[in-house]
Amino acid sequence: MRKLKVTTGILAIAIVTLTAMSCKDNKKEQTIEEGQQSEASMHDNSDGHHDQEATHDNSDGHHDGDSGEMSSAARDIDVSTQKNAATTPIIDAYIQIKNGLVADNKETAAKGAEGLLMAFSKFDMAKLTGDTHDEYMEIAESAKEHAEHIVKSPIDHQREHFETLSTDVSDLISLLGTEKTLYQDYCPMKKLSWLSETKDIKNPFYGSEMLTCGNVKKQIN
Amino acid sequence: MKIVKIIALVLLVAFVGIQFVPTGRNQSDIVPKTDFMKVNEVPDQVKNKLQVSCYDCHSNNTAYPWYNKLQPVAWLLEGHIKKGKAELNFSEWDSLSNRRKKSKLKSIISQIEDDEMPLASYTLIHKDAKFNESDKKEITDWLSSLRDSL
Repeated sequence: MRKLKVTTGILAIAIVTLTAMSCKDNKKEQTIEEGQQSEASMHDNSDGHHDQEATHDNSDGHHDGDSGEMSSAARDIDVSTQKNAATTPIIDAYIQIKNGLVADNKETAAKGAEGLLMAFSKFDMAKLTGDTHDEYMEIAESAKEHAEHIVKSPIDHQREHFETLSTDVSDLISLLGTEKTLYQDYCPMKKLSWLSETKDIKNPFYGSEMLTCGNVKKQIN
Repeated sequence: MKIVKIIALVLLVAFVGIQFVPTGRNQSDIVPKTDFMKVNEVPDQVKNKLQVSCYDCHSNNTAYPWYNKLQPVAWLLEGHIKKGKAELNFSEWDSLSNRRKKSKLKSIISQIEDDEMPLASYTLIHKDAKFNESDKKEITDWLSSLRDSL
């Protein structure tokens, strides 16, 4: 009787092992593919940022002030923003995410984030040169990463990524301009701003919990 | 009874057999100059905790205990590490733009504060990787100050 127990025990372990193994075989191919993809995208990065990276290396640890200037905490969009229609698809997708979060609707936010990824992939950056190009690349890299997370995350996590995404989109507008009429709203609790297409305050950082908290800081166009 | 024994034996042989299937090892002797610890002046306490609790899955160098060399555990682990490094790789920290460093720091802080990282499945085995409240405060305070300085 005891022998039987031991044998069935071994048998069970062996079966589990084998099942895990056969599953893993499929998975392994996937991870290899993924590995190649991420490797490829890593190369993209280093190509795109090559010049900048070099300067960052030098300044790191020593000239913190230099880089701090570029990305200070309070983001002000220049009032004399140039009219630019090229950024419209990006902003529209951002607004869709914002409205999803205002309505506590995870699906709408995720759809908006998919739209944002699409808008960035279609954006024609051939016209951008020098520093503008480099800064656009940085913003786009960051914004796309947030969008990817918003696509697949629960709503709390979506909101977290939306916070930084708001900074990215604001910076994009300061850099390239927009033809849209937008409002930069400020949330005193988060000490962060978001962008809205309507004058009424609808706070996406908390949704229905604190919908009307905040104030309009600036009107763009 | 005999049949059961034979099957068990066959499966046991299979189990031994899969131990010879090679798995990719996430190990490297070189600490690249882009490593988080090289480009930042990290206090020893924080450094030690980050290395013990995060570096196994978020760097190019994993410390493997013996059971992680056993199949099929090694395969599962390989997947985990791949995913972890795709999100955040401390070994390649300095290849990120300042903008992305800030956003990574924000995510790291919130993951630690919300007890989402280190993963519960990881601290179950690695008891020393678990953060208590004062560890959490010490680490997140320092990471916040780093974020503000960028």
